[in-house]
Amino acid sequence: MEKKILAVTACPTGIAHTYMAAEAIEKAAGEKGVDIKVETRGSVGVENELTETEIRDAHAIILAADTDAGESRFAGKAVVYASVGEAIKGAADLIDQALAKKATSAEDYVEQVQQAKKERSAQRKGPYKHLMNGVSAMIPLVVAGGIAIALSFMFGINAAEEEGSLAAALMQIGGSSAFALMVPILSGFIAYSIADKPGLAPGLVGGMLASSGGSGFLGGIAAGFLAGYVAKFFKDKIQLPKNLEGLKPILIIPVLATLVTGLLMIYVIGTPIESIMTGLENWLKGLNSGNAIFLGLILGAMMAFDMGGPVNKAAYAFATGLLASDLYAPMAAVMAAGMTPPLGLWLATLIRKNKFTKEERDAGKAAGVLGISFITEGAIPFAAADPFRVIPSLMVGSAVTGALSMLFGAGLKAPHGGVFVLAIPNAVTNLLPYALAILVGTIVTAIMVVSLKKTVESKVNTNSSNSNDVAS
Amino acid sequence: MALTDLLKTEHVLLDIEAVSKEACIDQLTSAMEQTGVVHDADAYKRAVLKREEEGTTGIGFGVAIPHGKSSGVSQPGLAFARVTSDVDWESLDGTPVRHVFLIAVPEEQAGNEHLQILSQLSRKLMHEDFREKLQSATTIEELIGALE
Repeated sequence: MEKKILAVTACPTGIAHTYMAAEAIEKAAGEKGVDIKVETRGSVGVENELTETEIRDAHAIILAADTDAGESRFAGKAVVYASVGEAIKGAADLIDQALAKKATSAEDYVEQVQQAKKERSAQRKGPYKHLMNGVSAMIPLVVAGGIAIALSFMFGINAAEEEGSLAAALMQIGGSSAFALMVPILSGFIAYSIADKPGLAPGLVGGMLASSGGSGFLGGIAAGFLAGYVAKFFKDKIQLPKNLEGLKPILIIPVLATLVTGLLMIYVIGTPIESIMTGLENWLKGLNSGNAIFLGLILGAMMAFDMGGPVNKAAYAFATGLLASDLYAPMAAVMAAGMTPPLGLWLATLIRKNKFTKEERDAGKAAGVLGISFITEGAIPFAAADPFRVIPSLMVGSAVTGALSMLFGAGLKAPHGGVFVLAIPNAVTNLLPYALAILVGTIVTAIMVVSLKKTVESKVNTNSSNSNDVAS
Repeated sequence: MALTDLLKTEHVLLDIEAVSKEACIDQLTSAMEQTGVVHDADAYKRAVLKREEEGTTGIGFGVAIPHGKSSGVSQPGLAFARVTSDVDWESLDGTPVRHVFLIAVPEEQAGNEHLQILSQLSRKLMHEDFREKLQSATTIEELIGALE
């Protein structure tokens, strides 16, 4: 494929050098027959601006700037840095340097995973995007709180009951502070995503009411959407005379939206959601082993279905939300099932080398590291290259792991961390069976993958396109 | 606005003698002062020299394009000088300067048409045939014609 080069030129005054550098680069590229686009950031403003798609598809970017040139746009891309003067003097040389750069995104496996994650968040739209905004704001609290609680359990399961002890302090940090903020933050940031800043106050308050009213994370989600759309409604519909307009964001919207959200939460939707939540909690607490296995199978398969996509995140959000209700088994099942896809692929590349290209075998090692860290997205490049064989294999392995974890009654108090939280005493209940569940799932995944995947030699033609997929 | 609105005939100094970069800027500034483009020559020159301190405007190929944005400028303007002896401009490529474009931009300027014209000029300077015309022009009219 033709290598497309992009360039940005900018200088402090932006009257002349910016344009001379641009012309020099364009001229040099023309002489070499290289496809180029040059953005100029001069006193006229930004002209010929590079689009996101162009940046993504570019082989490398020449940044000929003596001042800010919006560099953060090029994170993860190969960039040739130069001064404006160097571009005017030696544009041809800069082009050669740019062509010689390795297109990092194609080489670096972890980079690819990051890229896939980024593309996904860019694709998120509508309610799902709002929900994910809330979930991603909540997760750090869950992680910090969960680990603090797990550390407290290190001193013994009831150590926190002794006042003034470190265990009690850790429990206060994790349990009564971080976890108490979970639902309000979830709700607040869902609303923030919908209505911007005016949504935050009603969202936080609605979430707090959900939390104290017993409707838990389901109530928090409902409160977030309610608060967001109520605030957005007031923001769009209320028209005030110009001199009162300033009151709108600081007085009118917060008060009205908070009151409407709060009253609806208390008198209308709080109670039904609370009974759903209580029903769910009771069902989960009283699961017989058949139902437990069933739930584990479903959650596990969901984790592997789209590896970090909406289905995976739904299962994950469900499990983390239940931590707030002291239900730890789904969390354990979900984390285990999220670890086995990359781990299983890693194992598969080890036991059947001839089923994988050299690039895939190298990528397998990285996938192993991502797997033990519970980064399910580590499996994406493999799945993208051969989805119809790889994804079902991963789902089977994860479903088995999830079911085993539930069957063994494993519980997990920290919502993330992979194998590293297993080392914290008391963070995991039934540790050994839990580790066994992960191990079995990994092996099942690997066996499924190697038996479904064709050997590389027998499909020389499709293989080259496969490795391209991995690299693209 | 056309390039000739900026580069008035009075602003073109062909084959002048200038011993230094500053002397050259002085002569071009007075030319623009006479046509009313610059009303406070000192303030404008300070801006130009400050820009020179930040980095040379000697872009190589014997061309320099000093420029300044200042409240001492009444309207956008451009002046050109061809000097008969080499002037040291600490150019990017080390060559002495023979052609100087001095650009004047008012501090507060509505519209940016003049900036676009200057950016076009800057782009033209990167082409050798254009620079040859600057050297070979024998009259002011011929030189302005090359810029059109």
